[in-house]
Amino acid sequence: MIRLDNIEVTFGDFVAIPNLDLHVKPGEFFTLLGPSGCGKTTALRTLAGFIEPSGGTVHVDGKNVTRLPSDKRQVGMVFQNYALFPSMSVWENIAFGLRVRKEKSAETDHLVRDIARRVELSDEQLHKNVAELSGGQQQRVAVARALVLRPKILLLDEPLSNLDAKLRHQLRQQLKDLQSEFGITTVYVTHDQDEALAMSDRVAVFNKGVVEQVGTPQSIYDDAATEFVCNFIGDSSPLTPEFIAELNRLSGAELSPAANSYLRVEKASLTPPANGGDAVGLSGKVVSRTYHGLHSRYIVRSHGADLRLLVKEDGAAHPEAGAETTVYVQPRHVLQYHADTGKALERQDQAVVLP
Amino acid sequence: MSGASAKSMLRSPFILIVGTVLTWFIAAFLVWPNLNVLLATFFPDGSFSGRAAEKLFSSQRAMKSLGNSFLLAVALSVTVNVVGIFIVLVTHYFKIRGSRILFLGYASTFIYGGIVLAAGYKFIYGDKGIVTALLLKVFPGMDAAWFSGFFAVLVVMTFATTTNHMLFVANALKGVDYQTIEAAKNLGASDWTILRKVVLPMLKPTLFAVTILSFLTGLGALSAPQVLGGRDFQTITPMILTFTNSPTSRDLAALLAVILGVATILMLAVMTRLEKGGTYYSVSKVSSALQKQQITNPAANAAVHVIAYLLFAVYSLPVLLIVLYSFADGAAIQTGQLSPGSLTLDNYTRVLTQEAGLRPFIISVIYSALAAVIAVGGLLFVARLLQKYRNWVSSLFEYLLHIPWILPSALLALGLIISYDHPNPLVGGAVLTGTTVILLIAFVTVKIPFTLRMLKASFASVNSSLEEAAAIMGAKTLYVFRRVLLPLVLPAAAAIAALNFNSMLDDYDTAIFLAHPLVQPLGLVIKANTDGAEGVEGVANTFVYTVLLMVITGLTMYLVYGRSSRRGAKGKRARALPAATAPAAGPSLTEVTGTKEPSAPLR
Repeated sequence: MIRLDNIEVTFGDFVAIPNLDLHVKPGEFFTLLGPSGCGKTTALRTLAGFIEPSGGTVHVDGKNVTRLPSDKRQVGMVFQNYALFPSMSVWENIAFGLRVRKEKSAETDHLVRDIARRVELSDEQLHKNVAELSGGQQQRVAVARALVLRPKILLLDEPLSNLDAKLRHQLRQQLKDLQSEFGITTVYVTHDQDEALAMSDRVAVFNKGVVEQVGTPQSIYDDAATEFVCNFIGDSSPLTPEFIAELNRLSGAELSPAANSYLRVEKASLTPPANGGDAVGLSGKVVSRTYHGLHSRYIVRSHGADLRLLVKEDGAAHPEAGAETTVYVQPRHVLQYHADTGKALERQDQAVVLP
Repeated sequence: MSGASAKSMLRSPFILIVGTVLTWFIAAFLVWPNLNVLLATFFPDGSFSGRAAEKLFSSQRAMKSLGNSFLLAVALSVTVNVVGIFIVLVTHYFKIRGSRILFLGYASTFIYGGIVLAAGYKFIYGDKGIVTALLLKVFPGMDAAWFSGFFAVLVVMTFATTTNHMLFVANALKGVDYQTIEAAKNLGASDWTILRKVVLPMLKPTLFAVTILSFLTGLGALSAPQVLGGRDFQTITPMILTFTNSPTSRDLAALLAVILGVATILMLAVMTRLEKGGTYYSVSKVSSALQKQQITNPAANAAVHVIAYLLFAVYSLPVLLIVLYSFADGAAIQTGQLSPGSLTLDNYTRVLTQEAGLRPFIISVIYSALAAVIAVGGLLFVARLLQKYRNWVSSLFEYLLHIPWILPSALLALGLIISYDHPNPLVGGAVLTGTTVILLIAFVTVKIPFTLRMLKASFASVNSSLEEAAAIMGAKTLYVFRRVLLPLVLPAAAAIAALNFNSMLDDYDTAIFLAHPLVQPLGLVIKANTDGAEGVEGVANTFVYTVLLMVITGLTMYLVYGRSSRRGAKGKRARALPAATAPAAGPSLTEVTGTKEPSAPLR
């Protein structure tokens, strides 16, 4: 459906995207995820036609659209600030593109009302000024304005980033539902990993203009391909060579002490895991305990590593700061990355002791 | 800010003293003079009389001036928007080659306005003007007085009044969320559609405001019709001036001033209503910065470039010629022929060393400096109190202090004349009309709204926790004011005083009514020179005055804004005045409510 091949984007001497390849499948909810300034919005704007790449091609539905202006690409866009026209009513905002296309008045009105109904905007709201709407309603107007022209692709540029946490969670679901209802191929930009994991069919993780990994939310979380992805997605504790050596000694595993190693917070515990597995207990001392209601967050120092872990608050007594304790870890949960390249060690590599 | 009740506020002895002085000032110089004009018009002998109205309707001259004023106001509202919007778009919206140079040319009216600008255009394009002399050599049969009457007044006022567009419309344009333009592009809109349907509608409130200001400027025009209008095109304010000088026609002057005042209030009311009519600002929480737009049609792009540079020439030519001719000898000024040998420093030496040349300059400097300092110094306490206490008493004071923004200066001046041309108990039984003090009072009075608004904003920008920290350590209110607040506000107060000083230096509109005959400020001397009072030497002097004024104004603007914005750009702490915003309801004819107060707009 969408193909970005060898895309290069430069701003003067600054190379924002050196070489980008991305393929998005029809009907897919595809997310570009990364920290600020990583090039995700630049990639989206290149796809939208607001930025002309200095190299490479953009194909939409098999057609090369690299040199086509934004409105000839059949892409609808929802901007970060929604970019609603403040001098127009909701109806006028949604009808804007249809009027530019010189659709007949009756047809325009019919299409506007139809799309408004589908995004749950009432007739009364159609006649309001956009400033009178809540953040969520404004977002729906922006989506309706983009969808009323029946684009092949919907582009969403961090549309939830300016909203408060509660509304963001609520609208996240609404957006996903709308995308499912319309079945439209959607490319979504965000820096919020929760949002990306919860909404997407596939995610591309960006760093410094380069895609570090493309995959389903679960594969990205469980098998982070690079050290950057491991650190950016989820919450992990870095492990020391001493910790790895002790883990190898206790479990018989052959993890590389020379690699950069990490453990997800939920993969360590203060009690033996219920399913047992290959968990081994390492001695440690509680550095701190922070109460969060449903759970407590612990930092436990063990063999030079400060392990962060979560303990469910179920009324049982738990060790306090300064107490000696045991941390249970399964060697297969340790994520290891090549110290020079930052790339994940293959399973078979993990047995190899790096120089 | 405190929501202290009026009762608790009035318990403080300090506030009582400030309040008493303020009440006297407002009563004596803001309320009574204007009330007196109404009384003089409709109750000349203590009972109602329509005689002034009868006189007005029977005076062809007065009725014609009324018609001319409204014609000028309407025409100016159109022309200034056409030119103003165009120059804002070419400097801030479209990608135009050399737009920074164009901006400098268009911005020349920031340092060159009022009577000086009218005189400058007359010296360049008038019947004895330099350009006219050159044109006559090419077209001997042409009318030497081609640049006069309605046409000349409209042209000059149009180019002089675009300062408001450069300040406020440009500022509003910068606030347009660029994502709305991208959204419109994405939806297939053309450059023209985006400009017409998306960008300009967002500028509506600012355009309404500057249109009203232009209308009011045209309605109250004084120096431009006087200098360039000729006998056939006179407007209300020059008529008020003429009738004021004739004791038997003062009621007529008063009625014309009242009409001007009512029209002003009505227009301001319309503006306020229009502003409330809709939402034009971006609804985005975080807006994207505007990026300049390429005009995609090559023919349109070329046409816009040509017009932009033609306008640049229109704006820049008078300034360049005035600077050049300020070094020229009398013969060169008279013939319009310049040669390197005719350029000397003689004119500057004469103005700066001879008493006759220097005197008006010194008079204006003294008046402006005194008024600037008194206005800022006097309002420091008042602004602080009004910013701190919010109740009906403080609101009432604040509204009353804005009277000079609501009423035209001709009405204020006439009010002062007729209120204090006899011993008046409000000023200890003194007679003020005809003295040197009355002009100073008027200068201070017209500067009150701008000064108050800016000082209040400065006090509001001081972190309130500083005051609370001082209070918690036992500091009394006055001590906190003197040792904590004042040092923080002082740089802004100095900047406001400098801007006030600037705007009064070449004042003509107030001085023509109130100046002492033997203590004539610069504006009046420049006007007399345009009438040929001092011959070619007078013209040369005016060129020198104009250059000096431009230098002083430019320097002040740089000190107030240039330095602070540079500091800001370097990330250091800058105490700049608050950013220019759209003029809100209540601007005067002579100034707008933005922070940058340009050289007095042409009237």
